[in-house]
Amino acid sequence: MLSLKHISKWITLGGKPNFLLKDVNLTINQGEFVSIMGPSGSGKSTLLHIIGMLDDFNEGEYLFMDQPVHTLKEKQRSALYKQHIGFVFQAYHLIDELTVYENIETPLIYQNVKSSERKAIVADMLDRFQIVGKKDLFPTQLSGGQQQLVGIARALIAKPQLLLADEPTGNLNSKQGEEIMDLFKQLNNEGVTIIQVTHSEKNAGYGSRIIHLLDGRIEQEQQP
Amino acid sequence: MLKSYFLIAIRNLKRNKVFSVINIAGLALGLTCSLLVMLWVLDERSVDQFHANKDRLYSVYQRQYSDGKTTGGHYTPGMLAQELKKLFPEVEASTGLAWNDWLTFQVGDKIVQMEGNHADSDFFKMFSYPLLEGKPQSALSDPSGMAVSRHFAETFFGSPQAAIGKTVRVENRDNLVITAVFENMPKNSTQKWDYLFNWHYLQQYNDWVKQWANNGPATMLLLRSDANVAQFEARIKNYMDRHLGNEGWHVELYLQKYADRYLWSNMKDGFIAGGRIEYVRLFSIVAVFILLIACINFMNLTTARSIKRSKEIGVRKVSGAIRPALIRQFIGEAIVVVAIAMTAALILLFIALPFFNQLTQKEIELPFSQWAFWGSIFALTMLTGLLAGSYPALFLSSFKPVVVLKGVMKASASANRFRKGLVVFQFALSSLLIIGTIIVARQVQYIQNKNLGFNRENIVRVLLQGELPKHYETFRQKITAIPGVTSITPADQDPMQIANSTTDVEWEGKTPNTKPIFSSLGVGYDLIKTMQMQLVEGRDFSRDYGNDSAAFILNETAVKKIGYKDPIGKTFTLWETKGTIIGVVKDFHYGSMHNAIEPLVIHLSDNSKHAFALVRIEGARTKEAVAAMEQINNQLNPKFPFTYSFSDERFRQLYASETLINKLSNCFAVLAILISSLGLLGLAMFAAEQRVREIGIRKVLGADIKTLFVLLSREFLMLVFIAFIIACPVAWWAMNNWLHNYEYRTTINAWPFVIAGLAALAIALFTISFQTVKAALANPIKSLRSE
Repeated sequence: MLSLKHISKWITLGGKPNFLLKDVNLTINQGEFVSIMGPSGSGKSTLLHIIGMLDDFNEGEYLFMDQPVHTLKEKQRSALYKQHIGFVFQAYHLIDELTVYENIETPLIYQNVKSSERKAIVADMLDRFQIVGKKDLFPTQLSGGQQQLVGIARALIAKPQLLLADEPTGNLNSKQGEEIMDLFKQLNNEGVTIIQVTHSEKNAGYGSRIIHLLDGRIEQEQQP
Repeated sequence: MLKSYFLIAIRNLKRNKVFSVINIAGLALGLTCSLLVMLWVLDERSVDQFHANKDRLYSVYQRQYSDGKTTGGHYTPGMLAQELKKLFPEVEASTGLAWNDWLTFQVGDKIVQMEGNHADSDFFKMFSYPLLEGKPQSALSDPSGMAVSRHFAETFFGSPQAAIGKTVRVENRDNLVITAVFENMPKNSTQKWDYLFNWHYLQQYNDWVKQWANNGPATMLLLRSDANVAQFEARIKNYMDRHLGNEGWHVELYLQKYADRYLWSNMKDGFIAGGRIEYVRLFSIVAVFILLIACINFMNLTTARSIKRSKEIGVRKVSGAIRPALIRQFIGEAIVVVAIAMTAALILLFIALPFFNQLTQKEIELPFSQWAFWGSIFALTMLTGLLAGSYPALFLSSFKPVVVLKGVMKASASANRFRKGLVVFQFALSSLLIIGTIIVARQVQYIQNKNLGFNRENIVRVLLQGELPKHYETFRQKITAIPGVTSITPADQDPMQIANSTTDVEWEGKTPNTKPIFSSLGVGYDLIKTMQMQLVEGRDFSRDYGNDSAAFILNETAVKKIGYKDPIGKTFTLWETKGTIIGVVKDFHYGSMHNAIEPLVIHLSDNSKHAFALVRIEGARTKEAVAAMEQINNQLNPKFPFTYSFSDERFRQLYASETLINKLSNCFAVLAILISSLGLLGLAMFAAEQRVREIGIRKVLGADIKTLFVLLSREFLMLVFIAFIIACPVAWWAMNNWLHNYEYRTTINAWPFVIAGLAALAIALFTISFQTVKAALANPIKSLRSE
């Protein structure tokens, strides 16, 4: 599905390059459930952002569904991205001024889906996540677990093949966290490729493959 | 998608009520101001534009070269209109127009004064005034006929139909027949006449109008649609040489579009030099400035709050929004806010318009029924929204999602600098307006307080009409017997507005073949005493000297021009009458303050020539004295109403446009500073909010309220100060230019600048102090706990 070849990213501090990622090579196939682990500052989030096309890199090649991302223009990249990738955040990042319904609807708006179709798709999603009764509430009126549920619903609304999650359970208690991970497992079984960044061994265990990062390099790969 | 923009805009507004109110109030004020000025400008621009032939209607003006000077104006010989039509095929129709005249009309017992003029029979073919009765061809073809307005007809006969063919007694001396009734001349016409006489009727009573050497009437031409205007103008340029020759005195003819005369009315040295158009432009610019200030408020507040919205932007980008979509969203939001402000502005406009009309002496109506008005409202809303939303949209949409979603977003230094720049720009404009306002006010004050060379207080100007010139001596004796009347003098013109001038003067040692222009005033006895003018040398005209009919009083400028060392008793010749100089009067202002005082000769003239009597009254007894004068008029002159005015009031009217500018610039300055302060208030609130944690820490570390206040205020005050420094030279330059329109003007000193600077700083300090004091007083535990 995607492959990174010799990816490096650095920022220059005091004239010297400070590597965030150094010579990362990684291939991820359709249907995998990958967990990225590593201590703080090891480059987990940076790697996830690069995979999600939210961040640039200084060196290397990135092929996403056979397209060379590093050579694409912003518009093409954005088109590719909004069609295939969904993002879930640790801090949920729902828009406070929008209702649950409208938050979930937003990606469809940017994909120019017609209003009537949007209604049907969002209704299905609300149904599936059993949050129909909460559709007119604002994010601040929900618990953390519920907010993350909405965040995942939003990430999935455009039916992406790839779901990127940056510590999706980091702000949740263990019971809520388990529910979210079960949901991820179920989604993966339905065919969605998932890449998650996590600190938790337990959560990483849900996946099919664990990648350990240290100081911007892939230190180790293991199967749980 | 539009619905989504609208929704989020509304929710954002609701969520931040204070910011929203500041934003909307500022924009609404700015828009109201722009709309008022827009209506005023449209009204000004519509004057005289309704004539169907406006593109072919021209007014002839003269440029005279004499005595090394160039002068000019729309005054021409009374024969010119007919002559040009006869000689030049380009002229389709032509008419002379004399001066506006208030005359007394009588039908039965009813005596009413009306304002009107004289015109040729082509008049109604040239100008678009619909005739209710009569035909354009015959309306003014007969010297014994007259055309009257609907108002005239209704006043005397009840209706236009009843008026046609009826006879009216004019000035108790002629009977004229109404040959046509025209619709009342519209509000946006400079011609506001209720009657028109035939041109020959004018010549009948003013023989001089038939002579080529005399100027006075205006000449209007309707050119053929195929005429080459530039060529025609070149052909008539030297036409006057045929009649006047070309010695020491040369007159050229030029054309100005009649429709342009209202806005381009000023003549300087024989050239058209602006006029009201300058105020139209000035106020348009000021209106744009004020709207700009309001837009800057919006930009500043929106970008200042951007950190609060950065998460939303990040999420939208992660959800697939590309930059153009976000730019559209933020501009859309701006337009929503502007639309709300516009609604408020329309309500404000409705409330403010009557006051504005009163201020500007206009009768502007709200064109709510016109599509063009709503079209321009829509356009203004979109344009303002685009302008106000542009920078925030570009700024906000540039956020990198990775950065903002991590929550480490800090306002960038360049954005802060830009915001500061905008505040400086706002306050520079405001300071400019304040300084300008003060200087305009000082000039108005200067004009009002200027020693005119005579005392304009407590003088009543009485029109000498009907029997009064004939029985002036009786009139004078009766008037002077009234208690409270101290003296009276008759004159052929108002000494405050002398318009007559001549080149027909001679003196010993005059350079031959030069024709300097002297203003001339014909008076009776007691001019100096009544007007309280100052004699530098010699004496006033007096009954005690038999031969004063050949005596002249000159003003100081005239003496300087002539060059006599000791003028009293020396000879001077006016209109071929050789006489002696008996007095020199200190220069007094008999024209506009825009122009320098010119040489003036005062001569004793016959009572039949006198148009006015000037009566000095003791201030405390004005009312009784005027009532007594009215009675005397009614006895001696029963066929004419008593017509009078006060000189100081007329003086004020002379400078009505200065007074208007003074009032309007006051309004604009107040608005500008108000809107800028609103913006500053918003920014101060935002700064205090942002620094709540910093303030908490400082307080815990022992900072007192005073230090915190200084800390929070210093930056803003610095900006206002920089703005003021920038505004100073610009204001000095602009106001210096404006003052140079006046020959007599106030000087610019440091005071207006000091006052404006202090005012701007004080207002800014006052505005931000609410917020800074509140922030400085806040309990630090609270602000730190919330982290």
